[in-house]
Amino acid sequence: MSKSISRRRFLGTTAAVGAATFLPGTPAFAASGEISVWKFGGTPQEVETWAQRNDAFTEANPDIDLNYSYFNGQIRRQKILAGFQTNRLADVIIAFGQDIPEFAGFGMIQPLDDIAGDKLAGWKERIVPEVYESGMHDGKLYALPTYVDMASFLAINLDALEEAGFDRPPETWDELREYAKAMTKPDRPGIAFPATTAPVDINIFEGLAYANGGRIFDEETGKVTLNDPGVVDALQFYVDLIKDGSTPAATSLTETFFRDTAQLFGQGRSAMWIGLSWLNTPWGVNEDVRWTGVPMPKPEAPSGSYEPVSAIMDGTAMLMVSSRSKNPEAAAEYVDFWSQDAQLEVWGGQPEIARIPAGKAAWDNAELKEAWPNWVKAYEADTLFKGGAPMPRFIGVSAIESALGTAIQQAVLGQKTPQEALDEATTAAQGQIDLIRG
Amino acid sequence: MLKSDRFLAYALILPVVAAVVAFVVGPTYNVATLSLTQVVMGMERGFGTLGNFKALAADPVFGLVLKNTAIWILGGTFLCVTVGLAVGTYLAIDSRMTGWLRALILLPWVLPDVVTAMAWKWMLHGQVGIIGQTLQSSGMTEGTVSFLGDPDLVMWVLVVVLIWRKMPLVALILCAAIRAVPDDQMEAARMDGANAVERFRFVTLPNIAFSLTAVTVISMIWITAEFALPWIMTGGGPANASQIMATYIYQQSFEFFNWGVASAMSVINLVMLASIVALYLYVNRRSWASEGQK
Repeated sequence: MSKSISRRRFLGTTAAVGAATFLPGTPAFAASGEISVWKFGGTPQEVETWAQRNDAFTEANPDIDLNYSYFNGQIRRQKILAGFQTNRLADVIIAFGQDIPEFAGFGMIQPLDDIAGDKLAGWKERIVPEVYESGMHDGKLYALPTYVDMASFLAINLDALEEAGFDRPPETWDELREYAKAMTKPDRPGIAFPATTAPVDINIFEGLAYANGGRIFDEETGKVTLNDPGVVDALQFYVDLIKDGSTPAATSLTETFFRDTAQLFGQGRSAMWIGLSWLNTPWGVNEDVRWTGVPMPKPEAPSGSYEPVSAIMDGTAMLMVSSRSKNPEAAAEYVDFWSQDAQLEVWGGQPEIARIPAGKAAWDNAELKEAWPNWVKAYEADTLFKGGAPMPRFIGVSAIESALGTAIQQAVLGQKTPQEALDEATTAAQGQIDLIRG
Repeated sequence: MLKSDRFLAYALILPVVAAVVAFVVGPTYNVATLSLTQVVMGMERGFGTLGNFKALAADPVFGLVLKNTAIWILGGTFLCVTVGLAVGTYLAIDSRMTGWLRALILLPWVLPDVVTAMAWKWMLHGQVGIIGQTLQSSGMTEGTVSFLGDPDLVMWVLVVVLIWRKMPLVALILCAAIRAVPDDQMEAARMDGANAVERFRFVTLPNIAFSLTAVTVISMIWITAEFALPWIMTGGGPANASQIMATYIYQQSFEFFNWGVASAMSVINLVMLASIVALYLYVNRRSWASEGQK
């Protein structure tokens, strides 16, 4: 039996076969054109390496014209907002995880699921799940993380520790007070913590408060919870350290932010300091200072109303794509480039050792093992991220953190008790939040 | 005036008028409109509301901001002009020393704001600052002093740094005005038996009244607009003790994304500044009038 083929059928079949054969390789579908990238913040090492790797991107994607700019992390919000308002926002924004809800909520960035759906499987495969989660918002991926920072950690001068007769780092808040007292000398405080209103200083304190079962905002009720017992007692812990005489003068704590505190520790001017996971790695220490970093000791009995966390974390180099990008394909290609092992290994000690890498492959690097043996051990034992939570992130987070910063300073300076300061901060922040969230 | 001359006159001032409308009147109108609109993250939530002003009235920080701003603008301007007048009077004296000083004094003025702020921040630091250590080693204080961490000191310390930065130009302007005082008037006063203070009070001051007024108004505007110095040195802290209008407007705009409230503050700032300047000009109008009759 023979079957006749009509001309229409022949043409249709030929066209379909042709399309199926040629489409995947058709250059018209490869990303091309111009994209602009704004990166905000980062350690000096990271900033230098990022620019170098961009050259590799350009080589691998000759049809994409990359226009890359770097800015100080502290100006990111005004730069991005101004760009959004004037319709000149970059295609790719590399900013902080804490920004995601606000940027997404106000339509500045778009879900990566929508523009890079075919790439998500690869990203999930290459990135540590807990870190990948930090880019999610409302069930969608809005930002690709390259690393995270965790709060809070403790840097310890090993000579001071041994001199005071201790053979292990402190593990509880009570122990830390005891250690700090014992390690204090007339010309060198036992412990320092930054208490300016810089966001990082506030994140460091939040690490303590969240570990004590505190939270700063209840998303379900829309209520500011700065006066939760978990936060109040964490602030009381700061005040106790000052009352013990283990810290620099309270007035000096309120003028010394995290980087200066790290530098003073690096010069042997304090025996311990409370910081984020990178502690002194971006700036180093004097040759005669032997030191180590450990997770911040925990409260004996957490007093907050919420589940205590082991640490809070956030990435400060998360790749987001602007909702107004004129070239989302090329933007997705750029994001995908930074999801590759070759790039993610930058934070595995090649060359950056200050951050907790997002890439699974980075954890196999010998440099990372050498710099942070305890991190690698904990990662391999699956405990590094256990009990961790994202740093506070919601619309209006800055307003609450600003009120918290003021309360910390009032309590540290002895102007108010922690309870009074945080009660006032709660009222002030609630007013701001209601205004912002409408 | 001929009709053609009038057209030419209008044509000549047109670029300036256009620039003023574009860069002063336009933005001012925009800010005034925004102050009556609830705007968060660039999204409008209703025009014609006094909500932003009510929010400011209910904000416990705003009262402190007003007090700090008064110290910053009024204290800063008064000290800047007073010290500038004293230094300018000295510089007006002809000598080899003052010749050098007239050039050197401009150094603080030419340094960038950020450099100035960072340098002072470290010099005033409680643990490593050279000023505190010097005071301590000379026995003037028991321990080092955290000038920027002490809420009772910080505002005045900022004013001192501000004067260090802004005073030189004030001094030079006043120096030039003093040197322009006619010699014959000074000579006549001297012959009439006037002492140095009397000569300064009754001859120099009336002669420099116009420059003094102008420099006071300009200083007030400079100081109101100064943002980098306080922001870099203290960020408004500790505990809002150095929070002024400029820093709080910035915080509301770019940290909280609350443009409506920030605009309301800008309007209040503008009205306050305009009132002070108007009052000052009104009070000083007589001295200009007398200068004009000479």
